[in-house]
Amino acid sequence: MAINKFEVGERIVVKIKDKSYEGVVMPSPLKAKDYLIIKLNSGYNLGIKLSPEVRIEKIGMATKPKAQEIKPPINPKLPKISIIATGGTITSKVEYTTGAVEPLINPEELLLATPELLDVVNISQILSPFSIFSEDMTWVEWQKIAELVAKELNKKDISGVLVTHGTDTLHYTSAALSFMLKNLGKPVALVGGQRSSDRGSFDGAQNLICAGHYLKSNLAEVAIVMHATTNDDFCYAIRGTNVRKMHTSRRDTFRPINELPLAKISPSGEFEILNKNYKSRSEGEVLADTKFEPNVALLKYFPGASPDILNFFVEKKYKGIIIEATGLGHVSTNPKQPRNWLGAIKKAIDEGLFIGFVPQCIYGRLDPYVYSTGRILLDAGVTYLGSMLAETALVKLGWVLGHTKKLEEAKSMMLTNIAGELIDKISPNSFLY
Amino acid sequence: MAEEKEKINYGEIGLRAGLEVHQQLATHKLFCSCPSLVRQDEPHFKVVRELRPLAGELGAIDPAAIFERKKKKHYVYEGYNDSTCLVELDEEPPHEINPEALKTALIVAKLLHCEFPDVLQVMRKTVIDGSNTSGFQRTLLIGLNGYLETSFGKVGIQTVVLEEDAARRIAEDSMSVTFRLDRLGIPLIEIATAPDCKSPEQVKEVAEKLGALLRATGKAARGIGTIRQDLNISIKGHPRIELKGVQELPHMTKVVELEVKRQLDAIKHKEKLEPHVRAILPDLSSKYLRPMPGSARLYPETDIPLIFLDKKELEGLELPKMPEEIKKELSELGLSKDLVEQMASSPKLPMFFEFVKTYKNLNPNLIATTILVIPKEVKRKLQLPEFELDENILDRLFIGLSGGDKLVPAIVKEAIPEIAEAIAKEKPKSLEELYKIMARYKVLSDAELKKEIAKLRKEYSGPEEKFLGFAIGKLRGKADPQKIMALLKQN
Repeated sequence: MAINKFEVGERIVVKIKDKSYEGVVMPSPLKAKDYLIIKLNSGYNLGIKLSPEVRIEKIGMATKPKAQEIKPPINPKLPKISIIATGGTITSKVEYTTGAVEPLINPEELLLATPELLDVVNISQILSPFSIFSEDMTWVEWQKIAELVAKELNKKDISGVLVTHGTDTLHYTSAALSFMLKNLGKPVALVGGQRSSDRGSFDGAQNLICAGHYLKSNLAEVAIVMHATTNDDFCYAIRGTNVRKMHTSRRDTFRPINELPLAKISPSGEFEILNKNYKSRSEGEVLADTKFEPNVALLKYFPGASPDILNFFVEKKYKGIIIEATGLGHVSTNPKQPRNWLGAIKKAIDEGLFIGFVPQCIYGRLDPYVYSTGRILLDAGVTYLGSMLAETALVKLGWVLGHTKKLEEAKSMMLTNIAGELIDKISPNSFLY
Repeated sequence: MAEEKEKINYGEIGLRAGLEVHQQLATHKLFCSCPSLVRQDEPHFKVVRELRPLAGELGAIDPAAIFERKKKKHYVYEGYNDSTCLVELDEEPPHEINPEALKTALIVAKLLHCEFPDVLQVMRKTVIDGSNTSGFQRTLLIGLNGYLETSFGKVGIQTVVLEEDAARRIAEDSMSVTFRLDRLGIPLIEIATAPDCKSPEQVKEVAEKLGALLRATGKAARGIGTIRQDLNISIKGHPRIELKGVQELPHMTKVVELEVKRQLDAIKHKEKLEPHVRAILPDLSSKYLRPMPGSARLYPETDIPLIFLDKKELEGLELPKMPEEIKKELSELGLSKDLVEQMASSPKLPMFFEFVKTYKNLNPNLIATTILVIPKEVKRKLQLPEFELDENILDRLFIGLSGGDKLVPAIVKEAIPEIAEAIAKEKPKSLEELYKIMARYKVLSDAELKKEIAKLRKEYSGPEEKFLGFAIGKLRGKADPQKIMALLKQN
């Protein structure tokens, strides 16, 4: 049809019978393939159904904005950081003429949206190994990020590394980096945005600025640094293994689970330690220990769930399963219930799979000794992972099984605290913090 | 200046004036299900935010720009837990567009003979003065290139737009501006006319007609601040001036006259002439507000799907009658002038037409009186804060007036005020209770009526020629006076 003859950005006049509209051709969304979308001079877009009656005249090209070259200025008084941009809302922009959301071509454009970051730190470089949505991340990307972070951190003049990332799976990546960065002696901040940078209410700016302050601090921890409240007032830095996205859309979506945030940070640089359980900066080389077994899975038990679900993973030769168990750590073991899981669990463990339980309550700790069900499952060989978050447990299991295939050794590693994921003391004020 | 009484020839000076009318709709909000409720009580929460200049607008990284950002004010948003939600707080994507508001806007555009695109797209209009939590206003072009008929000729309608209202400015100090979220997201229909008005009277007529047209949809919000009018005015040799916030229609001509005089003076005194925005003062003169804004940046709202207009549905869209038409129709039904005015603007108008259609035997005047006048009189007499006859009760009264049926006792119109009063006092909770009240005013059968008249004859000792009046008075509400007269004539 006629649309094929006209390119996005061209200025045209569309005539249909006695009507006539002048505007710029916009990309047509998939659902509107038979329509021509144009932007009128008033700025409004409208769509016209293409038919033989529609006449189109080209009258010129729309002017395209030139890509800007950005060279971050250097302030010698400020410490240096590196940025690793991986994609997501925080590093996307809206092409205002077309409305298309696109990843930043130059990651440096990040600084156009948040120039204040340059008041806090110097940017050594911005690396962009890939630009993908959060949901497209896999262990391969975690390994790549970990290697890049380690490489940057091992540069003498680098104070810390900032990773920008989509928010949906940010807490999986923060857990992965927590386990993969061995002998971490400098801070690593993961940052995302819940509102895109095309709008005045872009939340990522404050997150980036607060992350800049975090990277100057003494905390040698992997942390997610994002809005603490719905206000634009301060951020929390939350340990990478005990943090979760708890709301689909709010700015303050990332919450600490079972412990307090490490620190409260304001964009102006006020810095308050809230949780004294942290590692301080230290000398020495960081190692990216990224071996990972991808054949691990996370299941959620629910009333009436069939044990066939578990059997499937055994057949598919999975190496380990994390199960979100009910309450203090239960799945049905009652022999009178045709869908009890005891047989399937025993069989899986016999086949050499690691079976670990985590709380589907999200908050709190499992305890197999309170009810007989728990004791039966413990005897069957289930590993109770205390208060470990399901997502953290899954990532840790993949990492552990990347290092050993021996069930007993894997069990012992899963129960050894590596990056703050096993919590001895749950403070009363950490619930719904 | 106002004393000068010289007549201005508007044709000669080349007056061109247009209007931009913003009308709030009385539906729920445009992109969430919160009620369109502007409140005066204490807000439940406050949220503090900042808005940023947009990415890419700054060009190079400039220390001065960073400084500018630092001294920027922050915005405080006040909200209510029961009538605002995460959408107004910019913490949740917009929901689908309110179909009632969309339909109303389509009706308005159709009444204004607009062209309709095949696909509509919601746009984001950049606003960073804090009045929108997101940093933009969502706006949707509904129709374009229409016209409005006036007694001076056609006036072009450039666009009909459906958009969200902004948050309400409450306070401002050196550090912050406070807004309330109650108004944010209320649907607004914006009608922009072409600068086709050539006299102050025509401007006023356009404003009146647009107001009436919006009210005729039955969805226009009423009350202070629900409709806002801006004017743009120019004369030969003077650039366009925008006048913000004409509050009252009767002032419209005066505002135009004063602005034209101001422009004539400015030309005469060789002032520097620049297009700009002016605010109207209480004395209807105006003062400089700000330069004319550059065209705001509009880009697609990607969170809301495209709206495909079904041409058949558009054609089938039932258009409301315009007030003049309605009044004409009411007059033709025989309503008194006073009742015509009352009924034309009453929310009970559709109900009235229904009853007229159902009870063809009843005088429309009687129906209108029973619906509108009787309850008002009862309310006044009994000093009640509120009193209405609902649709069910009215329906039974009209059955009674039509001669009754197995359940509903027959009544006469003279009984209506007393029945209404009894209803107000006794508050019947079921139809049975209503019928019991009506039964007390049941019309007498012919035999009963004869008996009653015979009884009255015995009581009566006055002159014969006054007996008819006496009997009618005594039997008021229980028999049709015409019938009494007929019976007396027979004897």
